Amino acid sequence: MEQEQQKQKIKLSQKFEKFHDKNYKLLLLIPLTILIFSFIYLGVFYSQNQDFIHKDISLTGGTSVTINEKINVVELKEALSNKLESINTREIYDIVTREQIATIIETKTDEKQTKQILEEYLDYELNGENSSFEFTGSTLGESFYQQLLIAILFAFVFMAIVVFIIFRTFVPSIAVIISAFADILMTLIVVNLLGIQMSSAGIIAFLMLIGYSVDTDILLTTRILKRNQGSVNERIFQAFKTGTTMTLTSLLAIIFALIIVSSFSNVLSQIFTILAIGLGFDLLNTWVTNVSILKWYVKKKKDKSK
Amino acid sequence: MKIKLTWKIWILVIVLALSLVSIFITPNFLQKGVLITSVDTNSTAFEQGIRQGQIITEIDGQEIETIRDFSKILQNKFPSNENIKTIIKTTETEYILYSNTAPEITASEIPTTNINLGLDLAGGSRALVQAEGQQLTSDQVNDLVSITNNRFNVYGISDMNVRPVSDLAGNNFMLIEIAGATPEDLEKLISEQGKFEAKIGDEVVFVGGEKDITSVVRSGQGSGIYSCEQSQQGYYCNFRFTIYLSESAAEKHANMTASLEVNSTSNGNYLSKPLDLYLDDNLVNTLQISEGLKGRVTTQIQISGSGTGETKNDAITNAEEEMKQLQTVLITGSLPFKLEIVKLDTISPTLGSEFVKAIFLAGLAALVAIAIVVFFRYKKFKSSIALLITSISEIIIILGVASLIKWDIDLPSIAGILAAIGTGIDSQIIVLDEAKQSKFLSIKQRMKRAFSIILGAYFTALAALLPLYWAVAGLFKGFAVTTIIGITVGVLITRPAFTDMVKKIEG
Repeated sequence: MEQEQQKQKIKLSQKFEKFHDKNYKLLLLIPLTILIFSFIYLGVFYSQNQDFIHKDISLTGGTSVTINEKINVVELKEALSNKLESINTREIYDIVTREQIATIIETKTDEKQTKQILEEYLDYELNGENSSFEFTGSTLGESFYQQLLIAILFAFVFMAIVVFIIFRTFVPSIAVIISAFADILMTLIVVNLLGIQMSSAGIIAFLMLIGYSVDTDILLTTRILKRNQGSVNERIFQAFKTGTTMTLTSLLAIIFALIIVSSFSNVLSQIFTILAIGLGFDLLNTWVTNVSILKWYVKKKKDKSK
Repeated sequence: MKIKLTWKIWILVIVLALSLVSIFITPNFLQKGVLITSVDTNSTAFEQGIRQGQIITEIDGQEIETIRDFSKILQNKFPSNENIKTIIKTTETEYILYSNTAPEITASEIPTTNINLGLDLAGGSRALVQAEGQQLTSDQVNDLVSITNNRFNVYGISDMNVRPVSDLAGNNFMLIEIAGATPEDLEKLISEQGKFEAKIGDEVVFVGGEKDITSVVRSGQGSGIYSCEQSQQGYYCNFRFTIYLSESAAEKHANMTASLEVNSTSNGNYLSKPLDLYLDDNLVNTLQISEGLKGRVTTQIQISGSGTGETKNDAITNAEEEMKQLQTVLITGSLPFKLEIVKLDTISPTLGSEFVKAIFLAGLAALVAIAIVVFFRYKKFKSSIALLITSISEIIIILGVASLIKWDIDLPSIAGILAAIGTGIDSQIIVLDEAKQSKFLSIKQRMKRAFSIILGAYFTALAALLPLYWAVAGLFKGFAVTTIIGITVGVLITRPAFTDMVKKIEG
């Protein structure tokens, strides 16, 4: 019985190997299509919004108020929508009891006015005990946004340089960089499609994504280029087993954590959401995009040396 | 069963032990009492020598064990406005105070760990300040910082941190952080230029600051609220205090009053023009100058003003605040620029503990998730446990280092710890897989190969993090710091130890 199963397994993997050998270049069309769609979508998005993302008030400037009370947000929003500029509300629940313990109100109006308007509506004083205020001036928010973009750009360039230093060959290094870039771009598109308003913490998540996505690519490339036992396919398959374990572990850990913090911390849940989306795309871009380019490169090199 | 540990595992064990020491052995280990977090510098308590950081063990002979004991005793102690004796015993000595209100001391439980939570978790205020309409040079910011520090001290806030920061775009800011409870008037205190001018007609007689004003009497007779009256809107209370002018300012005052005429009113004889007090170009009070002062060189001048409120108590509080602010400005003088608060966060401490609970649970859930995947994938109990132990020790070591370098754990820092643990687990999975593969290589060679991949990943992560250290006025520094600690600890200590563990387990 067991031998039978083993045989079937081997048969299946042989079939897949054949399929992959024949079609690996064609497989590149999948990420390529998504990439092209992403570029077009981003272009349209940019022309409509004059920006690459929907920014929240930590980047546009404005006030975020957390009131440690149960407040009917629907009524509040209705009553204040023409007093507080682009008002947004959220509720925070206790993780265990699921009881509403706080209310978050976000607006582009400045801190002083917001406080005054809210106090008038709630009919009690907001102080350091019952509320938190976070205010960012609009010029500063804009400047922070620019700097975070620069930080991402620098991080990406540094990463690319390190990758080149590690592998010292053009095509494999570029393959790693393309995969990382595709991860970021595709994630960005999904974030925009979901209508997520990105905070400064969300941009940090993209920074983390660079690190995570490159991890598996480096593993793959090292196994294929710097090892010599086993066929290329065997090496890819071994790297695949290790790499997917890595990504799936992270993905599952992030999803578990996301479920817990989602009702609680906007900052952390945004970081986790972006990482989860990004790691999902990383599976595609490492095991389709990067593998195919690398396989192509190795095969070509082999043909030449013959 | 006897287990022989390799030196790499020993290093991990030792570092782990040291980290636990660094986290849990606090200066006040096992001490009972409450910790003083701030003392109003204008209070009798401060004058008697009570300072931030001391530990109160007894008040009036009653033992203090929790913060509840502390506030209960003090709250019930001052029912009326009489002066009462309070005996405060700290770990070192005993203080005896006489006052009519509760001593202006805030306290908290003695922390059981050395981990300091950042403002966004523990509560407190943070402000980024720039000059209105102009870029400050770093020298100008340094000046600003020292004046502001002085102002806070004079005002009575001691538990704060004021420092210059700059960012990637070349902006210079003054960053102010105040832990714990926030003074209501923080915004006024930091953003007001505090340009004080006393004028007769259009001419300035003297201004705030030590050049014109040699001292300001802030306690005792002749300083305080002297009367409260009911008005149509509520109440208003009047305060007064004495200031001493420098010789030159006093002479100027004499010269200017000498040329004024004397008007007779029903209340007495006053000079034809009053002394107008301006704060940031707003008239705050007008003082009639009595006939006797005409042309006289006098260094002693009484300043007065008032505060209003709906109730008498409100009016008293407001008048006290107004007086304190005016005194602060008179002592410290004007700031060289008009300021603008570009970012102001005041975080209530209430949600902080909930937050920590949430993060703790999330971390636990993540670990469970990791355990599930690793166990199902490798079906090896020992190796999976080793992986979990390694990850947990990484968290402990990061927190240990953070306690050691006194790094405040804020939200970005926690995100950074997550990032470090994430890459850590990735690397451990690589080690586990390399150990399984290519059986014809010696285990040592296999481990070496795992390491070359891990080092590659390490340097890319390091490179990616560096820009964050400078961006955004350092508000996300915590992310870079904890991640860098984490991945460095990973490469130098935990990963080598894990590799040895795997070698032992896999044989």
